[in-house]
Amino acid sequence: MNITKDKIGDFLVLSIDGRVDTNNFNELELVLNQVFEEGEFKIILNCSKLNYISSSGLRIFLTALKKVNARNGKLHLCSMQQVIKEIFDISGFSTIFNIFDTQEEALA
Amino acid sequence: MKELIEIENRVEELAVLAGKIDELAEKWSLSMPLTMNINLVLEEAVSNVIFYAFNDPDKHLIQISLSLENKTLTLEITDDGISFNPLSRLAPDVSLPVEERPIGGLGILLIKKMMDQVSYSRVNNQNRLTLLKNI
Repeated sequence: MNITKDKIGDFLVLSIDGRVDTNNFNELELVLNQVFEEGEFKIILNCSKLNYISSSGLRIFLTALKKVNARNGKLHLCSMQQVIKEIFDISGFSTIFNIFDTQEEALA
Repeated sequence: MKELIEIENRVEELAVLAGKIDELAEKWSLSMPLTMNINLVLEEAVSNVIFYAFNDPDKHLIQISLSLENKTLTLEITDDGISFNPLSRLAPDVSLPVEERPIGGLGILLIKKMMDQVSYSRVNNQNRLTLLKNI
């Protein structure tokens, strides 16, 4: 997994490239925790290159959303591949996350 | 068509399993979304076994058999761990608001929703989880 960070306007955009699974979910967790420690609570997770996620990864997304909501921040997801969107639908995550088709919409 | 994969009860072995499933998918000409589903349900089922089935520090083998007959895909996960039916775990309530949404239980939920039939049995002191999908 590769994660790149871009500050765009008020938002910090984290682009996830690759898999988030039982073997590497802690890499994403670490980056998010650093970001929260730096006081960033307006975050976009760009999922255009996220090609696999298991429950270990979903747990990190949910924990991040809880933390962001507790600080009245924003956590937007965008540009999800269809296979990933289906996993979010099945998990009931599509109803609790703000998911946008494009990064531009997520920034608006 | 049938294939047997055997891995050790270490979390690093999940990557080995994923690699073998990708190879098999190519050999059996499975679609990309189906391959991802297989990878996902096996990661969930096998990681459960690795994390919860063994109460000793010893090396154990976990068998994963995959077969494709008459458009039915059958996945079978067998381990010699303590008796445990993962399907008996209560699925999380996915209608709860985010503050009350539980962090755990998602793996079993994904397995149940992605497969058409799931069953558990205890045979010869082994746990056997059988997952069926019509394709």
